Order: sequence, then structure tokens, then C-alpha cells
Amino acid sequence: MELFIQFLTNTGYYLADFRNVIMLFVGFIFIYLGTAKKYEPLLLVPIGFGMLVGNVPFFKGFGLGIYESNSVLHYLYFGVTTGLYPSIVFLGLGAMTDFSSLLARPKLMLLGAAAQMGIFFTLLSALALGFLPKEAASIAIIGGADGPTSIFLTAKLAPHLIGPVAIAAYSYMALIPVIQPPIMRLLTTRKERLIHMSELREVSKKELVIFPVIGMILCCFLAPASIPLLGTFFFGNFMKEGGVTERLVKTARTSIIDIATIFLGFTVGASTQGDVFLTGKSVGIFCLGAIAFSIATASGVIFAKIMNLFLKDKINPLLGAAGVSAVPGSAREVHLVAQQEDPTNYLLMHAMACNSSGVIGSAICAGILWSFLV
Amino acid sequence: MYGLEAINAANGWAMAYTGAIIVFSGLVVLSFVISQLNKILSFWENLISNFKKNHQSEQTDELQGEDNSVVPHRIPSDIKEAARSYSHLIEDLDQPFELTRLYAISQQKGFPHPHITISNFRQANILVPAGDGLFTWSQP
Repeated sequence: MELFIQFLTNTGYYLADFRNVIMLFVGFIFIYLGTAKKYEPLLLVPIGFGMLVGNVPFFKGFGLGIYESNSVLHYLYFGVTTGLYPSIVFLGLGAMTDFSSLLARPKLMLLGAAAQMGIFFTLLSALALGFLPKEAASIAIIGGADGPTSIFLTAKLAPHLIGPVAIAAYSYMALIPVIQPPIMRLLTTRKERLIHMSELREVSKKELVIFPVIGMILCCFLAPASIPLLGTFFFGNFMKEGGVTERLVKTARTSIIDIATIFLGFTVGASTQGDVFLTGKSVGIFCLGAIAFSIATASGVIFAKIMNLFLKDKINPLLGAAGVSAVPGSAREVHLVAQQEDPTNYLLMHAMACNSSGVIGSAICAGILWSFLV
Repeated sequence: MYGLEAINAANGWAMAYTGAIIVFSGLVVLSFVISQLNKILSFWENLISNFKKNHQSEQTDELQGEDNSVVPHRIPSDIKEAARSYSHLIEDLDQPFELTRLYAISQQKGFPHPHITISNFRQANILVPAGDGLFTWSQP
């Protein structure tokens, strides 16, 4: 009987506290959004299920929890804390990215730069709210709307915040259809939303092959701290465009990125243990993340309007919202908003150009912030 | 510490504007470089194609030069000189040969008025009858 009672006291039912229950509920919401609503299912399903697993109460000291050394989850989490998974994800992302629209219209890259202003504004806001500089930088990078980049920088600067920062970044990426359209409509007139972009020129194979080499050199020389992200990103893209490593490219854009995404999502989800995750800081991070993401969207749109003051061939300011690096969610949203105004207006390819420039921009920002605060 | 005091203490303003300027200038430089990329590539390709063209035309000139030494623009007044220019054609023919074959080849190579030259060769006994309508070449 004593043994049975001892067993009962070690079960999750006995050890559960309200924080675990709250996080289990959040996990269910993630799974519901990913499965039933199909909001970024590739991200929300692993994260949501990871939340469920991470919030099963257990007897501390058994080497079970993600924060306990020698546990299996801890070893899987190693890829997050070292920045390994984000780097691998970037390799696959590079192998999937088509830069032809960006090469055809390089000025769209400026929108990717403008959208990074949300990061620096949030940096100031987080500092003002009392976060330490390294924590503030980790929170600010959420404005880049790039999950792997946010996790990478947070792992380097404020590892204790990986859970909330990652969850906030991925949540806002999933909530793009909710967050971005109102900001886009608020900052643009109907006349501006109706602007049609001119046809993109054809880009030669040589340009596509040379770009990743030039891009890697220029960006990594500028911010060497972004090498783990941009090095693999441009390498993946070079393999894709080179056309001689078809097998490697296929593996990078399927198996490798999928494996990294599964473990990244699952372990980030599992890292949201109620007792660690549910703090005042997490609430602050969620609020600042929303602000960062909104400002990033707004600054992209506003900068596009400023550019139009000087351009003969006007650009549709909605494209500025795609300057955040949520690929391809924000590009799709820009396209949909434009289509709602005029079904003959196809902005997807142009928006993808801004999107891919946003990926580069946010990785550079991560490198810059890391080098500032190391 | 909160508010502006916290921002100042962490050197926040400098971090924000320096970071913004770096990322912006970095992407501006990258966009400028890629905007010039197709121009640089087409310039390079033009350079290479011009080089190839020049190289080819030099080779053609050389070949034409060789041909000029073989194919005269007019009928040489000296029969020996004319025979020298026809001698390489004869090398391609198995001796004895029909005059029609020599005529066809010389016309194909662009020799001026081959019928007159061949007639002159006959009269000068450079083309010697070998019977059955065939002729042999006797270099003067």
C-alpha cells in the first residue's frame, strides 16, 4: 500500500499545478489552430504537441525534463541552445528560395531593410520597460518575424528566454493574417493598393548563380556574427542555383529542413514548462513581440510610400508589409489584400522579393545585435 | 531602472541608430551591387564575344591571306605564275585527270576565268594529253 501511495505521489495527476494546466490549454490551442484552422501547421503542430509533452508534471531529479541535464529532451534541446537547428533550417530555406524576383527589381530590397526598423524600436521599448540589454535584443528580434533567427539570437544572448521568445515569434508568424491586413489598410489609400507593378525582367542563370556568392560575402563581411545563418542560407541557395548538386539540394529542402523543424518546434514547445514559462517577463515579451511585429509591418509600408515620392515607376506600398521575413506568409497576405481590391493585381512575386530580402535583413540584424552585446 | 534612464544606461539610442544604419546601408549596397550585376555580366559577355569575334576574324584574315596567295584576283600575265597558283589544285587531283574536273575545282575555289587559264596551260604544254581525254600536269 505504501508503495502504491508512493507511486501515486509521483504521477503527473498528483504533481500537476495550475501553471501546467494553463500551458496544456495553450498547447491545445496551438494544435487546434495548426490542425483545424491550418495556421502554419508545420510550426504550430510540433510546438503545440511539444507544449503538451513539456507540461506533463514529473518528479524532479529523474532526468526527464528538458531543463534537467542528461534527459533525452535536454539533448534534443541542445540543437536549440547552440543555434544548430536555426542554422540547418536556414540551409533548407536557402535551398528553397528563388531570388529571381529580387534580382529583377533590386530596389525592393530596401523594403526588407525598412521593415527591420521594428527591431530597433522594440529594442528601445524593451530597455525602457526594464529588460536587460541582452534580453531586450532577444525580444527585439521578434520584429524580424523570423522564428529561427529569433531563437538563434536568444540562444546566444538570453538562453533563459528562448521559450517565450520562440513562442511569441512563431505565434505572430501564424497570426500574420490577423495582424498585418489592418495595418496595411490603415496606412494605405485604396488608390495606392490598386497600383499594379510592372512586369519583372527575365533573370539570367548566371545572375542567380553569382548572387549567393556576392550576397554571402557582402553580408557576412558586414556582420560576421550572422555567418551561422547567412552562410548556410546562401550555401543552400548556391547549391540550388548551381544545378550540379541536385541530390544535395533535394535533401536540404526536404529531409534536412523537415528534421530540423520537427525537433526545433517540438523542443521549443517542450521548453514552455509552466513553472519556467509563466512569468511576468513572458507576458512582457508577448506584448513587445506584438508591437515589434506591428511596427515592422508599418515601417515597411511607410518606407514604400516614401520611396514612391521619388520613383517614376511607383511601387505598391502594400509590398512594404512583406519586408518582414515571415516567408511566405506575409507575401501571401500582401497578395491577398491587393487581390481583394483588384483581382487582376498579382503582387505575389514582387512580395516574395521583399520577403527574401527581409530574411537577409533580419539575419544581419541578429548578427549586429549579437556583436553589440557580446 | 526604467524609461529613458534605462535606455541611456544601456547605450540604447546608439545601438538602435547604429544598428539601423548598418543594416540599411548593408542592404542598400547589396541592392546596388545586384542592380549592376546584369550590366556587369552583359559587359563581360560582350567583352568575351568581341574577343572571340576578333580572334575568329584574325584567323579568317590569315586564311584569306593564304587563299590570296593561291587564288589570284585576275589571270596572271606570266603563265609560270599562273601554273604556280594552280599547282595546289593539281595536288588534289589524281593524275591523269579530266579537264572538266580541274575546271570545276578552279571555279569552285574562285579562280578568275579558269577556262582561259586552262586553255593557256594546254597551249603551253603544261597540261599534257595522256590519251582517253585525260591530261597530266607538267610543272614548268
